Amino acid sequence: MTASTAYILYLAFAIGAAAVYLMLPRPERSKAIAGALLGVAALAVLITLLVARVTEPGSTRAFFCIFAAVALFAAARVVTHNRPIFSALYFVLVVLAVAALLVLQEAEFLAVALVIVYAGAIVVTYLFVIMLAQQTGSPVYDRQAREPLLAVLIGFLLMAAVAGQAGALPDTVEQGSVLATQTGPDSPASSIAEGNTAAVGRAVMTKYVVVLEIAGVLLLIAMIGAIALSKKKVPSEQVRTARKPLGQVGKEVAPY
Amino acid sequence: MPGISEYIILGAILFALGLVGFLSRRNLIVMFLSTEVMFQGVIINVVAFSRLHRAVEGQAFALFLLVIAAVEAGLALGLIVLLHRRKGTLDAEEWSVMRG
Repeated sequence: MTASTAYILYLAFAIGAAAVYLMLPRPERSKAIAGALLGVAALAVLITLLVARVTEPGSTRAFFCIFAAVALFAAARVVTHNRPIFSALYFVLVVLAVAALLVLQEAEFLAVALVIVYAGAIVVTYLFVIMLAQQTGSPVYDRQAREPLLAVLIGFLLMAAVAGQAGALPDTVEQGSVLATQTGPDSPASSIAEGNTAAVGRAVMTKYVVVLEIAGVLLLIAMIGAIALSKKKVPSEQVRTARKPLGQVGKEVAPY
Repeated sequence: MPGISEYIILGAILFALGLVGFLSRRNLIVMFLSTEVMFQGVIINVVAFSRLHRAVEGQAFALFLLVIAAVEAGLALGLIVLLHRRKGTLDAEEWSVMRG
């Protein structure tokens, strides 16, 4: 990556950071529209940068641009939408775009697993909790972000630090170098002949079988933990204070 | 074919967006949704490196990441239900007394 490309990249990050800052929930709506326009500008700069780097014709890059744009747009909406249910639905869009990007990276099994586990299970759990806990109307904590400037600055600094390193990465690893693993480009573990699912399955069931068992135990612990947590009877502070005589409200902390 | 740096930068942007959301949103549910966005960024990164090395280990690692994400979501949502039952609100600021 040349220096000028890096500067344009940083410019895109800065515009994007400003866009996210303006789009974060706040009382004034006009700023959110300006933020959305800035966000579109940042995406446009990023995609132009990608297209400018094209060296050979191919549809893969076009698909990468489309799905990357979808993922970034949807992720920005997850973070900035002031209604949690829409955040959850935009998160499904993030998952689908990321799954498409995994297919582009020849990780088909993982892409399918991602859609099933995330879009099929985790998001449904989130939606259940949102519907269980949702209050009528839009409460103030959804309309007002906490320290948006500080948060966006931290995110921008992180991005700048990572992007400076990512530009220096090689696009291929030569055989015999320190980075190269034992499975070369022609090994069956990575070739299409065996299939991605079989290769991942072989690695998980042979080399990482202990990790697989630990993962199963972890899931069991989480299941027991979640049941134990949600079974626990917790006194509501609201009900407790409401029942008290008027003079004593707020004088003592309710026993746990 | 996009090189690895594009995927790494995309993953980093997703991670940073999730971080911004986690730090700035006040709704507990949206905070945990932001961590899931961060997970997506990490998965893209891991798979990109797996492809760079033509090795399948990165994808196996991403599979275990999925397990951790499921565990995290289950426990976090159980906790959120508990906290909501106690205070009747999802505002994280309500629990700022725990800062000490």
